[in-house]
Amino acid sequence: MDNGGILPGRIEGKVTLRLRPSAPYSSELTANQIGVIADIAERYGSGVVHVTPRQTVEIPDVLSSCLEEVLQQLKGAGLSTGPIGRHLRNVIACSRWCLYNATAMDRMAKRLNDLYMGVVMPGKMVISLSGCDFSCVRSRTSDIGVIARVEIELTDRECKRCSLCVKEPLGCQVDAITITDEGVVIDTDRCVRCGFCTNICRPGTIRVRARSFDLFLGGKGGIRPREGVFYKSLSSEDSLLEEIERVIRWYREVAEEGERIADVFERQGGGPI
Amino acid sequence: MMKRETFNLEMPKVGIIKGVLAKDIEVVGEKVVNLRTCARPYRNMYSASQLRTIKLVAEEYGSGKVHLSPRHNLEIPEVRQKDLDRALRELYIAGLFPGGAGTSVRNIFTCPDWCSSSVRPVQEIGMMVSHNFGDRDMPNKVTISFAGCLNGCSRPYNTDIGIVAMAEVVVDGNVCKEGCRACMESCPFDAVEVVDGRVRVTEGCQYCGRCLNACEYGVLKKGRTGFRVLIGGKEGSTVRFGVEYMRWVDDFEVLEIIDRVLRNYQEKAALRPGSTRKRERLSEVIERLGMEAFMEDN
Repeated sequence: MDNGGILPGRIEGKVTLRLRPSAPYSSELTANQIGVIADIAERYGSGVVHVTPRQTVEIPDVLSSCLEEVLQQLKGAGLSTGPIGRHLRNVIACSRWCLYNATAMDRMAKRLNDLYMGVVMPGKMVISLSGCDFSCVRSRTSDIGVIARVEIELTDRECKRCSLCVKEPLGCQVDAITITDEGVVIDTDRCVRCGFCTNICRPGTIRVRARSFDLFLGGKGGIRPREGVFYKSLSSEDSLLEEIERVIRWYREVAEEGERIADVFERQGGGPI
Repeated sequence: MMKRETFNLEMPKVGIIKGVLAKDIEVVGEKVVNLRTCARPYRNMYSASQLRTIKLVAEEYGSGKVHLSPRHNLEIPEVRQKDLDRALRELYIAGLFPGGAGTSVRNIFTCPDWCSSSVRPVQEIGMMVSHNFGDRDMPNKVTISFAGCLNGCSRPYNTDIGIVAMAEVVVDGNVCKEGCRACMESCPFDAVEVVDGRVRVTEGCQYCGRCLNACEYGVLKKGRTGFRVLIGGKEGSTVRFGVEYMRWVDDFEVLEIIDRVLRNYQEKAALRPGSTRKRERLSEVIERLGMEAFMEDN
């Protein structure tokens, strides 16, 4: 179950610890965990903590002689070290409190993190789960990116004309909604299926018809950034998980040492079947 | 009773985000907001005492959870509206400020200086940029990222203004004693050659500095360093990669370029085609005008 996470430091006898939350959530911290991190940074480190872009935190300059003690404390608080190197990096999910996101992705992130904890991959692997089209977690430049979609529909419930769904700052971000004398009209060509309007519509005139998940493969950042390509749309969380497992199995089979999904695509000229 | 002097808190313009309750929690009749906090002075680092304050605010006024955002922010969700003033006061005292939301300059993204791949420190200049330009009102959101090496963990290619450190490699004495070829293998651009025990860096070098870390015998040394500036990238519903605007600029020039880009962007941004209220992102302005016309001062 070792993912690494103990990085060499710049000062002799000190290491940098990369921590990820592992329980109860993998994409957010509890207040208690923050307290533990603060204590460790102060007692064993230099008192500062770096928040990384992949929902992990790094404590620099931790005394390597006290490592055992520190790891014990972390374990008790539901924090683990890692991941670094050729592993599945921490799966990031966007905030489930965000107004825009209609599908909370945190449970999915936890499932994936638990499933691939400590599994060695051919290369670095990054999965990002986004709850809406705006993809703050950068789904389109991740090896495997997921964007949750919501198909909306209009119900019989009468629109109260509060116009929350069209006004700043909460209204539709792509101007797909207009309110006319007859009621709400939705421009399906403009709609990016983020489901935001279903969150704020009080009378329930606009509601969710169906949820789905779009899967993007082969994106990457780093030295040679690539944009991921749309691969498939899945209708449920379970089928999404199954598909991701299938993609990872395919990747582990075909990839050569050090290759990422984008490199495999380039070499083979195609994706998994 | 004596009237107590009160400290009047001015509400910040950004960083207090209307929140929804998590789908699995029911609190009826209470309005909540999410507080997106940035730490000062370094926006990518939190001190232990700042973390304790976040712990306290999350426990007392929120729901005891903290979301880690991908831009170094810590978000405290479900802060009850009636507690907002008290929560903000606690945060202010600890040097934490709400921010990094809406149509403004978002939290400045810098990688940590202790990373072994970093070829030039970026934290200080990141602090300077956030001090000068952070949370400035803009036509649309603007993201600025600093990366200490070409690996770009802070995604400088996919931000409006990306600044990447670069380092020239100097071969010391030109004689590689060990012939381990670690530098050759580490180079992502095949720009390092080892011929007859001599190391040569060819023209393909992109100044990422990976070979500097690989060489254990001190044959390769770091020469001059500087930044390359990429403009017009974005990530989100569409992806654009930033275009290189300049190379080998120093700290002061970086500040100057950022200032110029932000001023020109404020002047030249128009409404998005077909939209009545959303204005263009930086990448869209540059696509419409071209880089040269965009960077020209009026």
